Amino acid sequence: MIYLPIAEMPVNVLLILLVSGAVGFVSGLVGVGGGFIMTPALIFMGVPAPVAVATGASQIAATSFSGIMTQTRRKSVDWRMGMLLSAGGIGGSISGVWLFERLLRLGQLDLIVSLLYLLLLASVGALMLRESYHHWRGRETQGVSILRRPIKTLAHTLPFRLRFPRSGLHISVIPPLGLGFAIGALAAIMGIGGGFILIPAMIYLLRMPTNVVIGTSLFQVLIITSLIVILQSAATQTVDLVLAGLLMLGGVIGAQMGARLGAGLKGETIRGVLGALLLAASAKFLWDLFVPPTERYVLGGGLW
Amino acid sequence: MRRLLAALAFLLLCAPAAAQAPADVASDLPAGVAEDSITVSSDYRGSYVTVFGVNPDRRGRGDIVVVVRGPNEGAVVMRKRRVLGLWVNGDPVRFSEAPSFFAVLSNRPLRSIASAESIWRYQLDPAASAQLESSTGDSDPSDYRAALVRLRRAQGLYQVYAGGATPDQRGGLTMYQGGLFRAVVRLPANAPIAQYQADTYLFRDGRLISAQRIPISISRVGIERRIHDLATKFPLFYGMLTVMLALAAGWVAAFLFRRT
Repeated sequence: MIYLPIAEMPVNVLLILLVSGAVGFVSGLVGVGGGFIMTPALIFMGVPAPVAVATGASQIAATSFSGIMTQTRRKSVDWRMGMLLSAGGIGGSISGVWLFERLLRLGQLDLIVSLLYLLLLASVGALMLRESYHHWRGRETQGVSILRRPIKTLAHTLPFRLRFPRSGLHISVIPPLGLGFAIGALAAIMGIGGGFILIPAMIYLLRMPTNVVIGTSLFQVLIITSLIVILQSAATQTVDLVLAGLLMLGGVIGAQMGARLGAGLKGETIRGVLGALLLAASAKFLWDLFVPPTERYVLGGGLW
Repeated sequence: MRRLLAALAFLLLCAPAAAQAPADVASDLPAGVAEDSITVSSDYRGSYVTVFGVNPDRRGRGDIVVVVRGPNEGAVVMRKRRVLGLWVNGDPVRFSEAPSFFAVLSNRPLRSIASAESIWRYQLDPAASAQLESSTGDSDPSDYRAALVRLRRAQGLYQVYAGGATPDQRGGLTMYQGGLFRAVVRLPANAPIAQYQADTYLFRDGRLISAQRIPISISRVGIERRIHDLATKFPLFYGMLTVMLALAAGWVAAFLFRRT
């Protein structure tokens, strides 16, 4: 047991390491950041939601930085696109932190966070299950959608176009800025990195080639989560350094183990299991929102 | 500036609490606490507060009430209501002052020791200690007051004991020969780290005879204190430090990954 100085509660060190290790393991296995599992897991363990969201961001920063180190060596980061996404993301996370504080004061933070998680977990879980089901049925789905991508999208017709040599694109700057903004705001409110929304959006909306997508999204996630840690420290003082250290330790070790094991396993099986897990988690959020509560009163406003 | 305002607000909140020490009664009740300063280090898992004293009445008449109070702070209680099938927090009621920790111990049930009027006057009950901030419209504040006490009791922050400690309880007040009494309260780890007060009251025939106030300080020490000070005094630097730590952890991980 160790007492967390900011969360003001004792936690079991082994339990935290185990949970962060498991989350890291899953994220290494599937190739997602894992913030969307880590933050609810921390809240479930009794860590106050503001602390969980703000501290979880620092762990995502650690894993995404270690990912970038690997990706830079492979020259798979589109820096120009990354800068543009981050510029949008900075605006997004500033408004996200502001909104987070407002909602906390209004006592509606848990409702909004629950709703967002419900939507996110359900849709990502369903997508993963569908993908693995199609694969199991023997249909090839992965390559098709990318091959079928139209040459022109909204990104090509809007004004302020810019060349992105690494991605081989010549598109408007508005969609990347907007996308970065949305991801930044979601990340600040939900304590996620947002990679698992950003990656599909970069492929389908911006038509970026898949080989630069992961590195570029990691870059944006790193910038945004670092900024969120600093902003939350200044605005709400909810970043717990001890908890962050434990999460980083468990997370990076788990991620390495997951990545190594993932290389020898069928991706579709893993995705199917994870998809089912996410759907189950979203069912829990759904239940809490719709079933009449036994205790009708709640204490609000932790920072009031 | 913000911190200055917070400090001012804190002083304003504390002022009425300090003024509530009953002035019209004697303070000749000999009492003390075993732990007048509790330290919070990285292995802190809550603590106990032990208040002991002697009933000054030679024949041992009267009843003893011990109250351990944390500082007052604002609290909001909301009631869930149904909006489009969803259960949403609504109808907030604000309490300008509610004790962050409150434990009341007595040698027999409080209601048979003191009148309802004295319980409210000397704030011997957690419900009596919560002050409403504003009028609440059509919602019934007494429901909210009861809910506040119920929720905080579930968190272990409000405790009520009558009689001695039994094995299934975490506290209690025991009377010994010669008017000696001892009250033990379990301070859970989630109780705020602040200045506490232990108040000891002597009641006879429903009237307050004597009272005594003893301060208890709970403070962080060692690394806990350094981290907390850094986070509150230099928040920007603290945030950057956390990011640096994250980058270092990521760098080490990537380095190890390449090597093996």
